[in-house]
Amino acid sequence: MRDKYAIVGTATSDLGRTGKDSLYLLEQAMRRAIDDAGLKVSDIDGIVSRGADDIYTHHQRIGARLGIDVRFSTSLDNGGASQILAVALACMAIDAGLATTVITGYGRNSWTRTHATEGSRTQMELVPDDQLPKEFAPEYGYFGAPGTHALGAQRHMYEFGTKREHFGRVAMAFREHALRNPNAVMKKPLTMDDYLNARMVVEPYGLYDCSLVSDGAGAVIVTSVERAKTLKQPPVVIKGFGTFNNTRGWLVEDHMIRLAAKQSGEQAYKMAGLSAQDVSTAQIYDCFTGMVVAQLEDYGFCKKGEGGPFVASGALELGGALPTNTSGGQLSEAHVEGMLQIVEGVRQLRHQYEPARQVKDAQIALVSGHGGNTVCHSSLLLGRA
Amino acid sequence: MNDRTLLPLPQPSIETQPFWAGVQERKLLMPKCDACGTISFPPTVACGTCEKTAFTWTEMSGHGKIYSFVVYHRVYHPAFKDKVPYVVAVVQLDEGPRIISNIVNLPIAEVTCEMPVRVVYDDQRDGYLIPKFERRS
Repeated sequence: MRDKYAIVGTATSDLGRTGKDSLYLLEQAMRRAIDDAGLKVSDIDGIVSRGADDIYTHHQRIGARLGIDVRFSTSLDNGGASQILAVALACMAIDAGLATTVITGYGRNSWTRTHATEGSRTQMELVPDDQLPKEFAPEYGYFGAPGTHALGAQRHMYEFGTKREHFGRVAMAFREHALRNPNAVMKKPLTMDDYLNARMVVEPYGLYDCSLVSDGAGAVIVTSVERAKTLKQPPVVIKGFGTFNNTRGWLVEDHMIRLAAKQSGEQAYKMAGLSAQDVSTAQIYDCFTGMVVAQLEDYGFCKKGEGGPFVASGALELGGALPTNTSGGQLSEAHVEGMLQIVEGVRQLRHQYEPARQVKDAQIALVSGHGGNTVCHSSLLLGRA
Repeated sequence: MNDRTLLPLPQPSIETQPFWAGVQERKLLMPKCDACGTISFPPTVACGTCEKTAFTWTEMSGHGKIYSFVVYHRVYHPAFKDKVPYVVAVVQLDEGPRIISNIVNLPIAEVTCEMPVRVVYDDQRDGYLIPKFERRS
């Protein structure tokens, strides 16, 4: 599918602490993306959304809000790996003749659900109570995403000598990028002292290792490269995509330090005819700092186990060897489960930013998505037309 | 709705009920494939190695080692308010399976990956036992 389809429109909703519903935010992002593309709502004939966990046939609710009947529409359920999977599925649907112009997106209101009112503060888990584990977890006090991911960080530290200071460099680099992004939630600089002295959440992860709890949405529109040439924005071409899922689970073999990102990335590189050396900027699913370190290794930017020294070299910073999460990422912009990473990859390749935010002469962007009980992964390689 | 002031008890499924019944008798029972000897835990319909479907619930040695561990500082559940900080670990049993548990009877600073451990049975509340692990020298 290399070079056949393009992203022609993209946008985010309001981000941060909105007090809004997740469907409101996604409709807002989608309407902005349609406007960004110079299209009309009636031009859209496909919808691929990822449902909020508690909304049945989510894509239908989106179609109703947009006021369109469509030829192809479905909702995905692959956690944070869903958002790139939606772009891949859009390409496949168009390729199969099932649609011509597909809108994809994801929205959530995690902050509003868990912080906006006194009652909501008792809702600590984002998934509904009846989906939480009933044994082999609660009786041991094993709750929440930080604990699961911290197990991987601890093992990475044990096997490879990775240090908390390495994780801190990830948090600091993304914070520095967020300071250049007026829409980012986090506004204050972050020093290594701030990082190391912050309260521990689930050791080895402290406060700044953990992504934000945010409201927000993002959307992208996919159509053929031919059609893209007639539209308003410089098209960003889909060079390749890949998926892989360590479905046997996080605790199995070395899944918590060798992520499905490796096989997913190899698939995407193969489709695109590209390698890690060709990537100008990476937009990595940064649910936690250690997951960035592991993915950078899995994607071949450095050898397995050398991710700590790699990030300590300053590689991730704008102006570094591999500017990464240039809008601030989920750690410092807003956490919309990988959706904002796609939006930022597109914007960098349009060369639309002022010099302080722009990756100089960006040609290829790698975007990653990760989730689904921490073992499902998707990869997207984008390029300038 | 559960009373969130009480420590949670496991809610066994039909498949895991023999495991928890074994724990109440201070035994770590897991399904062992009659054909190839592989332990399948959590239980599955067929053996993950040979795909045969006959299993016998068999007592494990209770010995293993820590694959990885974390230290909870944040209170996620009101009943753990007085428990923090506590260690949650992935314990690799000598017979193969990895399970989530707690490491007990050891200062947190001494817990390491690959440390040998053995099972102990802890009264969660009201006499209901759950398996935890302590250092084995």
